[in-house]
Amino acid sequence: MPLKGIRTVTAARNGVGAFILQCKRLDFHYCDWAGSSRGMVSFLKHSLPAFAKENPQIEIRVSPRPHKHPVIKGHYINGREKAVCVRNLEPEQILQKANLLKEASGEKLKRTKKPVTSINESVRGIWSPYHGDLRTI
Amino acid sequence: MATFINASKRPTLALPFLLPSCESASLELRRCQSTYRRTKQRLRIKPDASFGLSSDKIQDHIIYNPPSSTSSVYETPTKFLPPNDVRRALRSDAPSNSQNVDELPPASKSSPEKRYHLTRSDVEEIRKLRLSDPMTWSRWKLAKRFNCSPMFIAMACEASPQKKEIQKQVLEAVQSRWGAKRRMAREDRELRKESWGRDA
Amino acid sequence: MKRLQLQRWSSSVLSSRARTGGRLQRHLYSSNRFQSTASNPLPSESDLAGEQSTASSGSTPFLKFTKRQLPSPPVQAARESAKLAALHARLYLPSRLPLETLARCLVDASADPDPQFNNTSLALLGNDLLSNYISEHIVCTYPRLPLTVIFAAVYAYIGPKTLAAMVREWGVEHAAFPGGEVDPGLLQFKRVAPGTDISAEPIRGTTRPNEDQTTWRRSITSSVVYDNEYGDPVMAPKPPADPSGSSPQPPVTAEQASCSLVRAVMGAIYLHAGRLAAKRFFEQHILSRHLNLSELFNFSQPVRDLARLCARENYEQPVAKIISETGRKSRHPVFVVGIYSGKDKLGEGVGGSLVEARSRAAVAALKGWYLYSPLEVRVPSSTEEPGAAPWKPVYVDLGEVIV
Repeated sequence: MPLKGIRTVTAARNGVGAFILQCKRLDFHYCDWAGSSRGMVSFLKHSLPAFAKENPQIEIRVSPRPHKHPVIKGHYINGREKAVCVRNLEPEQILQKANLLKEASGEKLKRTKKPVTSINESVRGIWSPYHGDLRTI
Repeated sequence: MATFINASKRPTLALPFLLPSCESASLELRRCQSTYRRTKQRLRIKPDASFGLSSDKIQDHIIYNPPSSTSSVYETPTKFLPPNDVRRALRSDAPSNSQNVDELPPASKSSPEKRYHLTRSDVEEIRKLRLSDPMTWSRWKLAKRFNCSPMFIAMACEASPQKKEIQKQVLEAVQSRWGAKRRMAREDRELRKESWGRDA
Repeated sequence: MKRLQLQRWSSSVLSSRARTGGRLQRHLYSSNRFQSTASNPLPSESDLAGEQSTASSGSTPFLKFTKRQLPSPPVQAARESAKLAALHARLYLPSRLPLETLARCLVDASADPDPQFNNTSLALLGNDLLSNYISEHIVCTYPRLPLTVIFAAVYAYIGPKTLAAMVREWGVEHAAFPGGEVDPGLLQFKRVAPGTDISAEPIRGTTRPNEDQTTWRRSITSSVVYDNEYGDPVMAPKPPADPSGSSPQPPVTAEQASCSLVRAVMGAIYLHAGRLAAKRFFEQHILSRHLNLSELFNFSQPVRDLARLCARENYEQPVAKIISETGRKSRHPVFVVGIYSGKDKLGEGVGGSLVEARSRAAVAALKGWYLYSPLEVRVPSSTEEPGAAPWKPVYVDLGEVIV
């Protein structure tokens, strides 16, 4: 056969079509007794229903963790998880932390040096010394 | 802004970015320029003249600056466009540099011109000769005699099985003398050759 | 010690569905399951049908032990699952698609052989929709593509590997073993035993005639008739041994189960929310993925193919000419060769030898021919909408170069 097709797999571009939120689950752990969980308990009672309603994409679990500091754990689509300790924090600060976990991609934090990364081909192609306006010296 | 003033003071040489900015320093005394900032400074080339804003008149034309790269395969050549495609008419206005096509040297020696001078009886004779004495009448000799290409001989007739067997043994004898390096180099060459039709 | 304590405490708060991950619970469940299904499968078959019919009616409350005997989660469990609701929202599924149907999409035929509770029928519809939409998109956008490349492109967009990757990117988790107590938000299928060689046996029972003749040539044109949308052999439908269709199915791989999930979601959207929503889902999740079509070609004789093409289209014979070169006598020469037909340049290539550069130039020229795309592309399914403009015939090409 003179011409064969090569089988490949298309690459995902999250956000080009549909945007899939990378945080798939948030676990809220609290303690009924300890003082460091006071803000967390108040957050769970008052702000969590509104937070859950705003973010229906995230599965939310609440469970006690007695004699421990309160923790929010985010589980991500790439299989990683991120945990934030929220001891002695106010409900507003806890909401900020929950939003931080919601918006994270789950990847390890790293410094981005280039402003844009793309898999699209360059419009002007790859520069080659044999093309274009050749100069005579 | 200091760099700008510095650049404007520079003499207008053909390639100003290759020279050090400090002209008084001789080549022997030049400091190492391997730092990031100095390298960037050297690479800060003035843009092409076609990009520059001409100071005397207001720009009202399109700047045509084709990229110095091979064209993308998604850009269909004008000859391959269907006759009713709009791009065909648009491209006919564009400047083309096809004047010097005839001056370019050919990449292959063989002339692609086909002659079609062999008749049916000639082909019959080729087949007869190759079957009768395959050792004498090889593809190359037949091609020379009938003034055609060895490719045509291969299309016209096939070698006898005995000849094929002999040729196979000869090839095996030759290959048995190859060492590991030569064998690997030949295999790599074949792999590279296959990738010609596959790479983007 | 501490770990155990935490499990015990959290179990008092967590719902029963969330507890399936616990080691203790899993052990209990698995032992129970072995007792119920593996040791005496025959009586449980008849029980199952009765229980499912009562469960689906929705009036009778189901007990916990009956739930564990079900092959897949009951319909009522879909409303209680947080995972399922989160998946529904994450995929931006239309609100007209109920959670119960999404839960059914997640049950593979290997988990629940009953066709009323698994996703087989939805997946069948979804697969037809997917292959219809993607093939009309490819054929209308690139009308000159050869068949092998069309097959490869369809495989790249909706092939099993891509669909499995999509399910992974959607964040769908797999259940360890299917059962009635499993959270309905997990993908449920019976797994192939580890160590099984999947590709060991040759494919038998396809729709192609004379399939036992392995030495016969299988042309690419015949695969349009006999093979599936990406040129793989199609298995002929087996005669159903059981009229109710509830015979146990063979275990499947995670890739196959993921495929049936994506196809079933597509089919479910089409059934519940209509054609427009299905098309939007297709565009957002499948068409938006990145594929460079020019990387799907594998030429073996590009120079000859180009000569045949020019002869067919009545162009002048292609001639290779050196545009520029450097270091001809050195160890690493570079030649830039262009292929010209008359005065027009068809393509150009760079190589370390003249033959290589000419071959690459011919590849570029052939890709330029095959990857032609008309300016305004419309697909036939766009005329299905009310008030759409009438269909105008698209550009149809002679076809690929046959040497």
